[in-house]
Amino acid sequence: MSHGSTKLNKNDISSEIDLHVNEVTVAYNNGHVALFDTTFDLGAGTICALVGVNGSGKSTLFKTIMGFLTPTRGSVTIGGKPVQVAQKQNMVAYIPQAEDVDWAFPVSVMDVVLMGRYGYMNFLRIPRATDLEIAIESLRRVNMLDYKERQIGELSGGQKKRVFLARALAQRGRIVLLDEPFSGVDVQTEAAIIELLRELRADEHLILVSTHDLGLVPSFCDQVVIINRTVLAAGPTHDTFTQENLARAFGGTLRDLRIDHTDAPDGTSNEFRVLSDDEEPLIFGHDGRLVDHWHPGIDEEESK
Amino acid sequence: MNLSYLIEPFQYRFMVEAMLMAALVGGTCAVLSCYLVLKGWSLMGDAVSHAVLPGIVLAYIVGAPLAVGAFLAGLLCASGTGWITNHSRLKGDAVMGVVFTGLFALGLVMFTKVTTDVHLNHILFGSLLGIERSDMLQAVIAATLTLVILAVVRKDILLYLFDANQARAVGLNTTFLHYLFLALLSLTIVAALQAVGIILTVAMLIVPGCIGLLLSDRFGRMTAIASGAAIFSAIAGTYLSYFLNGETGACIVLTQAIILTLAALFGPKYGILFRARAARRAAAGREQ
Repeated sequence: MSHGSTKLNKNDISSEIDLHVNEVTVAYNNGHVALFDTTFDLGAGTICALVGVNGSGKSTLFKTIMGFLTPTRGSVTIGGKPVQVAQKQNMVAYIPQAEDVDWAFPVSVMDVVLMGRYGYMNFLRIPRATDLEIAIESLRRVNMLDYKERQIGELSGGQKKRVFLARALAQRGRIVLLDEPFSGVDVQTEAAIIELLRELRADEHLILVSTHDLGLVPSFCDQVVIINRTVLAAGPTHDTFTQENLARAFGGTLRDLRIDHTDAPDGTSNEFRVLSDDEEPLIFGHDGRLVDHWHPGIDEEESK
Repeated sequence: MNLSYLIEPFQYRFMVEAMLMAALVGGTCAVLSCYLVLKGWSLMGDAVSHAVLPGIVLAYIVGAPLAVGAFLAGLLCASGTGWITNHSRLKGDAVMGVVFTGLFALGLVMFTKVTTDVHLNHILFGSLLGIERSDMLQAVIAATLTLVILAVVRKDILLYLFDANQARAVGLNTTFLHYLFLALLSLTIVAALQAVGIILTVAMLIVPGCIGLLLSDRFGRMTAIASGAAIFSAIAGTYLSYFLNGETGACIVLTQAIILTLAALFGPKYGILFRARAARRAAAGREQ
C-alpha cells in the first residue's frame, strides 16, 4: 500500500472515540439469547481482535455495535452517544465478509467506494468534487486506483477486500469493523491489510477485527476480546491472549501439541505448547504466555 | 404485400394509443425489474400481481378507483409476507406462495359473487386495445409517480439492495426504503395490469432486467438497456398482434422473451456462445 498519500486529518478525530459495551444482552425473537451481560470498553488508537468459536455471538455483537440489533438489556455507546446518533455522523465503517457480497452486482470499484460517501452527499447522492477526491485518494491508499472502472466481480480476493477497505476509508469512519478480513486473501494482501490497519491505529482510529486467524492476532492486535456468548476475557493481548483463556473459549476445537525440551543443556524448563486452528499456530511457554508468534516465510526459510 | 399494408396499424388511433401505453408501462416495469432481478426478488412481482385481485374487486364494490384497491392489496401482500416470515419458522418462499395464492383465490371467489361489468379475462390478460380513458389515466399517473420517486431514491435503493449493512452504516433508513420499494412495486403493477394483465405482468417485471444484466455490468447501462428492450418490445409486440390477430399482452411478452434468448446466446461478454468460444480459445492456447 502506498505510504505517501494523504493521511487522514487528525483534527477530524476527536479524542472521545471510545466504545462502551455495557452489560449487553441480546435475545432473538425465537427466545435464543445470543449474548448476555457483555461488557467491555475500547479507546481510540487501538486494534482489537474479537475471537470466539462459531456461534459465540461475534456477529451478533458486531450487529449490535452497528445498531442493527437493539440490546434486550444494556447499552452500546460510541463517544458517549447512542449508536444510531453515531451512525448519522458516519462514525462507524464496516467491512463485510466476502461471502456476504453479491459480486455479480453491476457496480464498479469506484461506485462501491463512493457508497462510503452517501452520508455526506445530498438526498440525490450526487457526488461532489470533494467526494470524488476522497474516493480517489482512498483507492490510491489501498493501491487500487488503477482498477477503479472494473466491475467488482473481476477482481481477485485480495483486491476485493481492498476495495471495501477503501470504502471504509472514504467514509472517514472513526471506528472500523472488519468481519473476517483475512478469509480468502493471499499472504501479500494479508500483510497490506495489517499495514493499513496499523496506519489507521496511528491516526487514532479504533479498529475491531473479528477473526478466526488466531495466529495472526498477536502480530497486530494490541487488545483482545474473547467471547463465548459473554466476555470470557478482555484486555491487552499479552495478558489476555493466554493459553488458559483460549482453551476456555475454544475447548477441543483447536489442535493442542505439547513439546517438551526439559533435557535442554541449561536444565531450565522448556516446555512449549502449540495451539493451532490449522491456520497459523500459537506457541505458548511453560508460563502459559505467548512465546512468539509464527512468522510466515521466516520459519519456512529457516527450516530449509 | 405493399408498404401501406405494413403501416396500416399506425393509422388507427387505438393502435397508436395502445403502443404508447405499452411503452410507458413496459418502460416503468423494466426499471423496476432491474432492482428485482439484482435482489433475487423476481417472484415478489409474481406474488404482488396476483394478490391485487381482491383489492380490485373490493374497490369495485365500494366504487373507488380500481387502481387504489389494487395498490393497497399489493402493498398488504408484500409487507405481510415479510412480516410473517420474520415472525414464524416458515421460510420466505413458502410464506410468499401461500399469501399470494390465498389472496388470489379470495379475489376469484369475491369476483364470482359480485356482478361486474369488468371481464375477468381483462384483469387476467389485460385489454390494451380496449383500454378506457379513466384506466389509461390511472396507469399514466401510477407509472409517472413511480418513475419520479425512483429517480430521487434510486441510489439509496441500490445501496440497500447491494449492501443493507452499509446503507444503515451511512445513516439510511432501510426500513423506510424497503417499504417504499414495495410501494413502488405495487404502483408499477397497478399500471401494468391495465396493459398486460395479472398473468403477464410478472414477465414484464423480470425479463427486461435479465436482458440488461446479460448485456451490461453497470447499473445505469443495465437500466437503459432494460428500458430500451421493453419499449421496443411494447411497440413491436403491439404491432405484431395486429397482424397475428393475437393477444397484445402475449405478443409483447413473447417479443421480450425472444430478445432475452438472443441476449443470452449472443451477448458480447456473458453470452453462452461468447463464453464457449472463450473457453475453446483458452483450451487451444494451453495446447500450444
